[in-house]
Amino acid sequence: MDFGLSGPEQAFADEVRAFLRAHPPETFPEDGTDAGYGSGGHSRAFTRALGGRGWLSMGWPREHGGQARPMTYLLILLEELAAAGAPFGPLSGCLQVSDSIIRNGSETLQREILPRVARGDATFWQGYSEPDAGSDLLALTTRARLDGDHWVLDGHKIWSSHAGIATYGTVLARTDPASTRHRGLTMLMVDNRLPGMDVRPIRSLTGQVYHYEIFMDGVRVPRDWIMGKPGEGFGQLLKGLDTDRFWGRFYKAPFLRRILGLLVEYANTVRSGDGGARRQLAHAATEIAALRALFYRAAWLIERGLPATGEVAAAKVMADELGQRVLSLGMELLGPYGALRAGSPWARLRGEIEHQYQTSWGHTLAGGTSEIQRTTIAVRALGLPAEPRARA
Amino acid sequence: MDLLFSPSQQLLQQSARAFLQQRCPPERVQALALDPRGFAADLWKEIAALGWPGLLIPVELGGSGGSVGDALALVEELGRACFPSPFIASAVVATTAVSAVGGRRAQALLPALALGERICALAMLEESGRLDPDALAMPVAAPGRLTGRKLFVSDAHVATDVLVLGRGAAGPTALLLPMGRDGITARPLDSMTGDKIFELDFADVQARPDDLLGAPGDGWALLGPAFRLGALARSAEMVGAAQRVLELCVEHARVRVQGGRPIGGYQAIQHACADLFRDVESARWLMWEAAWQLEAGRPDADAAVATAKAYCAEAALRVARRGHQIMGAIGYSEEHPLHLFHKRILAASLDMGDATLHLDTVARAIGLS
Repeated sequence: MDFGLSGPEQAFADEVRAFLRAHPPETFPEDGTDAGYGSGGHSRAFTRALGGRGWLSMGWPREHGGQARPMTYLLILLEELAAAGAPFGPLSGCLQVSDSIIRNGSETLQREILPRVARGDATFWQGYSEPDAGSDLLALTTRARLDGDHWVLDGHKIWSSHAGIATYGTVLARTDPASTRHRGLTMLMVDNRLPGMDVRPIRSLTGQVYHYEIFMDGVRVPRDWIMGKPGEGFGQLLKGLDTDRFWGRFYKAPFLRRILGLLVEYANTVRSGDGGARRQLAHAATEIAALRALFYRAAWLIERGLPATGEVAAAKVMADELGQRVLSLGMELLGPYGALRAGSPWARLRGEIEHQYQTSWGHTLAGGTSEIQRTTIAVRALGLPAEPRARA
Repeated sequence: MDLLFSPSQQLLQQSARAFLQQRCPPERVQALALDPRGFAADLWKEIAALGWPGLLIPVELGGSGGSVGDALALVEELGRACFPSPFIASAVVATTAVSAVGGRRAQALLPALALGERICALAMLEESGRLDPDALAMPVAAPGRLTGRKLFVSDAHVATDVLVLGRGAAGPTALLLPMGRDGITARPLDSMTGDKIFELDFADVQARPDDLLGAPGDGWALLGPAFRLGALARSAEMVGAAQRVLELCVEHARVRVQGGRPIGGYQAIQHACADLFRDVESARWLMWEAAWQLEAGRPDADAAVATAKAYCAEAALRVARRGHQIMGAIGYSEEHPLHLFHKRILAASLDMGDATLHLDTVARAIGLS
């Protein structure tokens, strides 16, 4: 049993830290909101800087321009970035989509998109949820029909993160009109600049824009801008779900550790001698450590190609619910100051607790609700019988 | 990073699981819990023959020279079987402390501990109930006479020796005494956990210089590593027990039919089982990470052990308590094994430092003043 880093891995961690010292994260302009998952704000400039180091593609096979580095290097990169509060918002989307393109994408997609991802010039949104297809994703109605060399895409996607500032979307659409449920679905790669795309912001309860809804009206997508073959969309989605959930949450533990550090500093200066606060913070530290251990267990399984559905879903549930507890504790410790926004007179800790507190309430919904995750653990990892589906 | 058990650990786990399934089923655990003097002398002999008490003892002193990881892999199985024994007190904590002292004491005692012929109890806690050097009140001097009282001493009725930590002139001081020394009497306490715990009274007991374990005043420093390993062992025991509770609950949810389908087909039960899985897995890997830190001699190992003990206790207790709700009325009955696991977890959560003690260590480690 060895939880340690090898010599070259430790050297890489040092390299990332040195990079962050030389290029302080706060010097990069942010073009999109920090959604609180731990990956900071959306910054194209920072994404390009990561690309410039070769870190966006370091895990790819060499034939795609990567360095074939083991998964541990990505874990190290994400942990260091999250611990520093760097704005790497688009990174997990880049990892997920590039992985999918390498596994399932057409040669055209691999040629057109991968080099742009590697440079940090391409970022992605996910087009899965629809107004009437949330937890019941298979109720989706977005459709695409083949017309010559193009798919003609019509539909309405919603809750897509950063869709207005990303370059491409992966859109799940029904390509076989005679099909139902999980059959006849295809994953299309859609360029935001195509005619017929209408991407509209949704202001969230934080007062900022993170989500978008996307109206697609006769959007013509080149025939080979799809993942795999037509009809394989759901299988691919399912296959990629564990890793998507993993890469969407892995940095939550180091992020919460950073938040905890802020709260410890606050408690030491403002609430010294408050034994209750001391115990609550120490307790939170144990839970964050346990969350990190669970993510590392899931990572180890994923890297070996072993089933990790239960571990990943459990880690996601724990990450999101623990995040809510830690941020709620922060609000409690800050008392009346907690509600003051960044920039307000008397705001504490740069208003970060207030912002992350608010964002945390979306996390147990996004990427599959905590209820969906728990059902997944019960049915797919523990082997309990699935609930009967209501007759349509 | 490699989260794989070594081949020898896997072998140890498999053989331990097979042995305990056959020789220590829940009915046996139950009978031992109900018997006021319950001690499985036969099983203790058998596990001694399997070499378990000697796992942490060097080969040249009759043990098998196993690693911390080997011991924890075994203890996870002991927890899974709810095996009641002085194993952690004697074969983990006392053995580690005696090994640390080395010399003639170790050479004299360790071979007998390895064979299971001697069992060492731990007399640490006093009325405060806290495992804390500042809470020690019983005066200890060697040479000298001991008078005082220790509480919550497990398995004093079968122990041949007792490790006593008291307040010496130079600080906390450890003695290793034969249980038969004149003036030592054990009075049984009656615990809901089924563990056999005692008040140990010392009435003008003679303490000789060679009863000292380590130098006077060094007791806490000497026992520190043993306590840390003990805390990890209790964590492993809780993880193993919680794993078994998860299995019992999932099995019950699969076969118990209400309203025309297994209760595990209802979301309310599914989600409760999912939470058990989360708690067991997160506790297990946190414990193993701390074990790795301890074995690798990492600078943060103390904090990692405290973190693991505090979290494993909380998570395993949550598993036991939620388990009762999943199991329904049958789990409330004495004949059902669920309560045995719950009580074992509860006892383990209190031994080797409770949440208050470990959270204090964590608080200091994260920089709280």
